[in-house]
Amino acid sequence: MPIGQRVVLIGGGHNALITAFYLAKGGFKPLLLERREIVGGGAITEEFHPGFRASTLAHTVGPLRADVARNLKLEKYDCHMLHPDPRVFSPTPDGKALLFYNDHAKTAGGIARFSAKDAAKYTEFAEALDQLSEVFAQLASITPPAIDTPSPEDLWNLFKTGRGVRSLGKKGIFNLLRWGPMAAADFVAEFFETELLRATIAARGIFGTALGPWSAGSTAVLLLRAAADSHPVGTAAFPHGGLGSLTRAIAEAARHAGAEIRTQAEVQHIRVKNGAVTSIVLADGEEIPTEAVVSGVDPKRTFFNLLDPSQLDPTFALRIRNIRATGNVAKVNLALNDLPSFPALAGTVGPDGFRQALSGRIHIGPEIDYLERAFDASKYGEFSTAPYLDVTIPTLLDPSLAPEGKHVLSAYVQFAPYKLKEGNWNSRRLQLGHTVVKTLSAYAPNLKDLIESMQVITPQDLETTYGFTGGHIFHGELALGQLFTMRPVLDWARYKTPIHGLFLCSSGTHPGNGLTGASGANAAREIIHNLR
Amino acid sequence: MGQHYDAIVIGGGHNGLVNAAYLAKAGKKVLVLERRHVLGGAAVTEEIIPGFLFSECSYVVSLLRPEIIRELDLPRHGMEILPLDGTFTPMPSGDHLWRMNDHARTQREIRRHSRLDAEAYDEFSKMMTPMCRFVKPILSMIPPDPTTLNPRDLKQLHFLMQRFRALSSDERYTLVQLMTMSAADFLDQWFETDVLKATMSASGIIGTFLGIRSPGTAYVLLHHYMGEIDGAFRSWGFSRGGTGAISNAIGAAAREAGVEIRTQAPVHKILVKNGRACGVVLKSGEEISAQVVSSSVDPHLTFEKFLEPSELPADFLESVRRYKYRGSSGKVNLALDALPDFKCMPGPGAHLRGAMSISPSIEYMERAYDDAKYGHFSRRPYIDMVIPSLTDPSVAPPGKHVLSCFVQYAPYKLAQGTWDDRREAFGDTVIDTIAEHAPNIKDIITGRQILTPLDLEREFGLTQGNIFQGELSLEQLFFLRPVPGWAYYRTPVDNLYMCGSATHPGGGIMGAPGRIASQVILKEWKKASAPSRSSKTAAIAHSHSETPPPPSQATTSAAHPPIEPAASPASVDRFAVAPKLDKN
Repeated sequence: MPIGQRVVLIGGGHNALITAFYLAKGGFKPLLLERREIVGGGAITEEFHPGFRASTLAHTVGPLRADVARNLKLEKYDCHMLHPDPRVFSPTPDGKALLFYNDHAKTAGGIARFSAKDAAKYTEFAEALDQLSEVFAQLASITPPAIDTPSPEDLWNLFKTGRGVRSLGKKGIFNLLRWGPMAAADFVAEFFETELLRATIAARGIFGTALGPWSAGSTAVLLLRAAADSHPVGTAAFPHGGLGSLTRAIAEAARHAGAEIRTQAEVQHIRVKNGAVTSIVLADGEEIPTEAVVSGVDPKRTFFNLLDPSQLDPTFALRIRNIRATGNVAKVNLALNDLPSFPALAGTVGPDGFRQALSGRIHIGPEIDYLERAFDASKYGEFSTAPYLDVTIPTLLDPSLAPEGKHVLSAYVQFAPYKLKEGNWNSRRLQLGHTVVKTLSAYAPNLKDLIESMQVITPQDLETTYGFTGGHIFHGELALGQLFTMRPVLDWARYKTPIHGLFLCSSGTHPGNGLTGASGANAAREIIHNLR
Repeated sequence: MGQHYDAIVIGGGHNGLVNAAYLAKAGKKVLVLERRHVLGGAAVTEEIIPGFLFSECSYVVSLLRPEIIRELDLPRHGMEILPLDGTFTPMPSGDHLWRMNDHARTQREIRRHSRLDAEAYDEFSKMMTPMCRFVKPILSMIPPDPTTLNPRDLKQLHFLMQRFRALSSDERYTLVQLMTMSAADFLDQWFETDVLKATMSASGIIGTFLGIRSPGTAYVLLHHYMGEIDGAFRSWGFSRGGTGAISNAIGAAAREAGVEIRTQAPVHKILVKNGRACGVVLKSGEEISAQVVSSSVDPHLTFEKFLEPSELPADFLESVRRYKYRGSSGKVNLALDALPDFKCMPGPGAHLRGAMSISPSIEYMERAYDDAKYGHFSRRPYIDMVIPSLTDPSVAPPGKHVLSCFVQYAPYKLAQGTWDDRREAFGDTVIDTIAEHAPNIKDIITGRQILTPLDLEREFGLTQGNIFQGELSLEQLFFLRPVPGWAYYRTPVDNLYMCGSATHPGGGIMGAPGRIASQVILKEWKKASAPSRSSKTAAIAHSHSETPPPPSQATTSAAHPPIEPAASPASVDRFAVAPKLDKN
């Protein structure tokens, strides 16, 4: 295919935008089509109540992979990252709390009030994680190798990875092999005795998944996330103006590089002839001829909604159908007329430290068993009565999101299964909202008096409004069997598909570890390589 | 010191006896020390209630490795296996699922529940066969060390990689799923009938502290499935006279080979002189010296009880302490004066001769697990039952019967109370659960024995009551079992070896660990006529380099290169201690 050829991208999520950017840089003419009126997919800022804007879904970044961030030069497009410190505030109902700062020593100081042993171990843990994260970061940056006919590049990548692994030393390698398949609960227990500390860190292994801390393999998820940010509790960074300004900036960078971006352009069908893409058809009937299509929407939607299934090889179709991608996450955004007070802070930082302490993520899930019980409910089609919450109050660092003196509280809610045993998500939406408020009130008693408005986004909404099939925010469960060469499915983990000219670039592909842009960047590399 | 032996084997369980027998056959002077008054460890038969012979722990014989049966000539020493046919699952609805060894009949039965599943069942069997073929050789190899660049290890790792690449794409896909998924998720892809999936997935949790929805259990499922593939059903089933008869047969073979066996001889310490094991001290204070000590008991006892911390490297000891046991199952043995009468299939019948499984639904199994996660025994447990007396009348008085119930979950650590005061409540729960399906059970019980995880630990020396001497979770298998870097039957103490279920390939009445360990020991013996090892690393590198048959096998009747599928039809069911389980 000659350079300068058109490539159509479906969906304006952050990965597709990044792919478009790199394709434009690579000399192609990307045309990106977004169904909604704004780009961003799961990384958007919307007004959910007059004067109140929230990062509707994702409320912190991955962060973006360093090289991707470098290439995009987002600051040029007026996207400024805010880096809260502490990153995480983790309270207990009985007024204790842990604060996780960038500075491990400072964090350890707080941990010491629970256990001197754990305080000492914390730095050791952070280092172990940091060391492993380099290996995982390396893995996340490569295209999964072809098993049958590894290319010289595959072999080189594996060699590099192998070297990285060997650099861990005998003990390190065995730890890697041991930890991967382990339950996060066991993993943290190897280091710490403090329940609150264990739970706060283990939560990273279950966020956005259908796993509990006692599920084997949740450590692999935790380590995969550490590849993006090796801090024990991960990142809390978000851009000024909410996540939407990140994707808006990426879009501008892509436009600037030569990509065309159309919103309110819903792709209805990908036309295929003789196993090759010929054109795409929009909902309004417009047909755009193209020989190359990159899908930024999840694999199931791509192959079952946008393609004529008869075009698919049955084995491949079966594997796609078998992808486990039913979500367990809901989102609740609150408009508050004042900052809620967390009594647990009193015993942790001085009054003048309150605002800073709350400026990062607030982890609600004080015990491993608490998290596990929250998960249990979802196994039987119920949402947790005491859910695990990942909360931010972005207005502390970015007042522009709410009217003067008012605040936005944004909470990820786990576990809320896509399929409910009783009722449906419309009939139970409010109940979920109240459950979240009730849960939070145990930590911030005055919360309910401050609420001006509440937005509840159920797994059903995630599918219908935001296009996550099955309501899975990662386009596919992050489980041992669906990572690396198995993401999205074995034999097709290299961003190509059995349909000639059709590629994937969403988080349904390797590595799919959150808002890092890794999938989009890896995909672009492969697509350029294939189209040239 | 009193007598001197070439080798002392600690523990008279089936692995210890197998290990001793092979060492003796190689001409060594061997002593086996058993703490209890009977041989067999968890493979034991005792008359707990007058007239009733209970296979107290392991109650169904699975595939003891054929080469062991042959090489030790066990049938001549009194081992006889009686067939056990089918798995019968009663359902609350009044219906049932009855799978038999006869594939066609099973398919017809499944068709009653779902036409699609009956068809899928065929494909499923077809797909599982190559899976078993792939894994078998791995079970009979000494695990390679993935961290060295030692050519022999690399060769083995390469061998594994090549085997994987030799699979078809579909086979790889399924294998990866089996290695990573939960039993329930895996079966969901094949079948729609809840009770079928629940009963099949049950074999994925035995001996683990995992639920059927926990990743890693699909792999355990595979191992139980392998038994079916081999189809050697004659070697499947009950042992005449109870499971203990097998241990006795191995013991007899060992004695014939010249092994000296002492029961009621509990070991107190392993004697170590300048980093080298040189004998043991019994609780009685008696000292016995030997060139080599081979321990068939679990790492906790071997390293934390029989040795002093000062005698072990700190990080090794740390790994030993980290090794997970977490017993999750109990055993209830009942003496009956009549047969249980199932609501869903009244009267006596062939269904009582096989395994009866209380696993009516996926949710039932998962809720049983949830109770255990928080430190309670399951309010409604998964139960696998057999009535050996129907097949082998010798284990009960005329007209009377033995009902053997394997029960999961029963967590070793209880949230409230101790097992000593919860024991009877646990037994009642089990009987109530059975009564829901066979109401007459309560009227026909004349005696009961309840074994909690605590009892398994006290009575049978299974730490935390784990029936496999350590949890069968992915991070404790193959070259990680029992301890990373020490998966080669050796220990940091020279001349001290491990030969129990805590070593690869793990638990189950198969004898593989005992046999492979004997090969390692004899090989090193051969290497250093005086078994002192100047450079242990060299020793390790050398010995597990040769996975194929070590010299020792010259002395055994049939030599099988461990890496040869034919050699390991039995190796498959490393998990089968307990019941066995699931004949698809």
